[in-house]
Amino acid sequence: MSIKLEKITHIIDEQHAAEENMLKAMKGGSYTIDAPYVKLNPYLIAPLTSLVHFTTPDETEATVLVKGKDKAGDMSFTFPKGKEHFLPVYGLYPDHANQVEITLGNGAKKNLTIQTEKAPASVHLPTKIKTTAEYLGSNVIFLSPTSPGSLAAYDYRGDVRWYGTLNFAFDVKRSKNGRLLLGTHRLFMPPYHTTGLFELGMIGKIYKEFRLPGGYHHDQFEMEDGNLLILTQDPQRGTVEDMCVLVDRTTGNILKTWDYQKVLPQDVGGSGSQDKHDWFHNNAVWYDKKTNSLSFSGRHQDAVINLDYDSGKLNWVLGDPEGWPEDFAKKYFFTPVGDVKNFDWQYEQHAVVVLPDGDVMCFDNGHWRAKVKEKYIPAKDNFSRGVRYRLNTDKMEIEQIWQYGKERGAEFFSTYICNVEYYGENHYMVHSGGIGTYKGEACDQPATTYRGDDEQYVTLNSITVELKDGKVMYEMHIPANYYRAEKLSLYCREDTLTFGKGEWLGTLGVTEEFETIPPVKDSGTIPDKYNLRLGQETDRLLVKGIFEKGQLVMVLLEGEQTHAYFVPTTKRPFIAMCVGTFLEADDRTVEFPVSFENLSGKFKVTLIVDENKYDTGVELIV
Amino acid sequence: MISEISQQEFNGLAHSGPALVEFYSKTCGPCKMLSFVLREIDKTMPDFPIYQIDFDANQELKERLGVKGFPTMIFFRDGNEVERMEGLKQKPAIVKAIEGLIV
Repeated sequence: MSIKLEKITHIIDEQHAAEENMLKAMKGGSYTIDAPYVKLNPYLIAPLTSLVHFTTPDETEATVLVKGKDKAGDMSFTFPKGKEHFLPVYGLYPDHANQVEITLGNGAKKNLTIQTEKAPASVHLPTKIKTTAEYLGSNVIFLSPTSPGSLAAYDYRGDVRWYGTLNFAFDVKRSKNGRLLLGTHRLFMPPYHTTGLFELGMIGKIYKEFRLPGGYHHDQFEMEDGNLLILTQDPQRGTVEDMCVLVDRTTGNILKTWDYQKVLPQDVGGSGSQDKHDWFHNNAVWYDKKTNSLSFSGRHQDAVINLDYDSGKLNWVLGDPEGWPEDFAKKYFFTPVGDVKNFDWQYEQHAVVVLPDGDVMCFDNGHWRAKVKEKYIPAKDNFSRGVRYRLNTDKMEIEQIWQYGKERGAEFFSTYICNVEYYGENHYMVHSGGIGTYKGEACDQPATTYRGDDEQYVTLNSITVELKDGKVMYEMHIPANYYRAEKLSLYCREDTLTFGKGEWLGTLGVTEEFETIPPVKDSGTIPDKYNLRLGQETDRLLVKGIFEKGQLVMVLLEGEQTHAYFVPTTKRPFIAMCVGTFLEADDRTVEFPVSFENLSGKFKVTLIVDENKYDTGVELIV
Repeated sequence: MISEISQQEFNGLAHSGPALVEFYSKTCGPCKMLSFVLREIDKTMPDFPIYQIDFDANQELKERLGVKGFPTMIFFRDGNEVERMEGLKQKPAIVKAIEGLIV
């Protein structure tokens, strides 16, 4: 089989080329309000956005109005005064002749029709939405997928007004500069760890990719100075999801690291989903300025931990103390007070949020809802909820002061993922995005993990609820699983479009080489059965093939020196499959990246499979 | 010296001095790789006893020793566990652990 090295253009390069062409076209014409330049999906990955360009003889404001399917669905934004206008258009409907009105400060108007394409099937539609236009206004609810699907935003009618075509995963947050921070689509390590974070304008332009040697998962948090807390790990030590780093917003360099192995015992307090490899399963980070502390949610210890920002020392642990060493529990855990009859600990929780008054909220998945196997509660009898606790860290006491979801029972139960948001006193979001049934009954494992013939018995659901003063103001159901929900407006004054190439920051680090190379025989060219594909990105080589479980596979880069990399083919049983959107249909597929950090020169790419060494015929130049 | 042994043979060992016991599975890529690493170590430390035990065929012993996955390496001195490594490890880390046993 002859293998071709596929050159994979990074999306930042693709967008740069598209932008250059666009700028050339704009400069080449004399566009006016009556005959403007209109480019649909200018940055290739957000098909419901457009860019309108024209010049005016005098400085003037310009207002864009995207007409809704009814009046309340209108979305508009007024751009500051200028002569050269570059107006992003957001909130178009898919498969629709969108009516867009441009109005200048002097009253001049232009009506445009922008026809969009049908959204792909991966953009799921709501089966139920209950809210009012008055309540949601021009906000939309973004949902990031964990089952096959697309990141998309839904308005008060449940109509799709934005979606992305890249495999964006995990958290979506708006940064102070108006742009979105979200996980990259570049897989770093199976099953869902990606290379880092994107800083993305709503128009779809990627301004920055923050790359990390340990990859990115689950969550990030922007500090007051713009630097970023990002959840990561050190893959070389054989554990995952047990580290957080502070990343310089300008350079991408790592400024500080918090390693939970230094403050927690790893073999106690395990939830029903814990294993040695994923002993903590950190799924959220929050910085609290008042206490200068960091809170981290660890699903696999049923615990939210709080560390001093400067020293990294453990301050407290929020969770059921059963099973933890007595002296440790006495020092760090809380005792329930107040209405203890109705008090529940949280289990396998997600999305810790520290409120302005110091209260702590999270999504209590309640998975297993016990520390001891004999007491586990099955999904069909269980519940998930948003919960708010008040902590007294002097007395080490805890009081449960609010919850929503318990009363809905198994119908609202999510074994995994989900989040809560705090908007103000008595105003919350509770997003139960991981609901699933198998043969009609709520399941004890993410329903997305059923494969093959079992898939026909699975149903998925995601329920997003907003409550104000105890009243449900918004409820949306979508038949898929979504990691988080985030309420945002599409237009944001700070999210200004700037031209120029996006940046790669940070580093993927050096891929660990394996010192031992087994004795093998040269066996010619690689057989077709391995379906080997090699791709060269800007910063790494991607090796993809189909191998049987347990085969010994190594990639060799043979140049002046030989670099050898061991490729794992034994899948770890990821019980916590938070994001399944990177999974291949053939579960024997193995994807392995080799970072170009510290590599340079010409290399012959060869592959060892068990006792055979195969030539791929590919020469790699780094 | 590398030997493949069963749980009965393990029980019959003298359990004196240092030894490395590796639990492996035939269906495990990292175990195959580790086997080559151990053979390399054996070339430079031929007198050091390394015992390989099939994880799937020796249930009682793996449960008794609390071995939960493969590959797992347990470093013994006079029958007492001194160190345990889970997963594939590189030669220098294993050699360091062995040297720690011998000293």
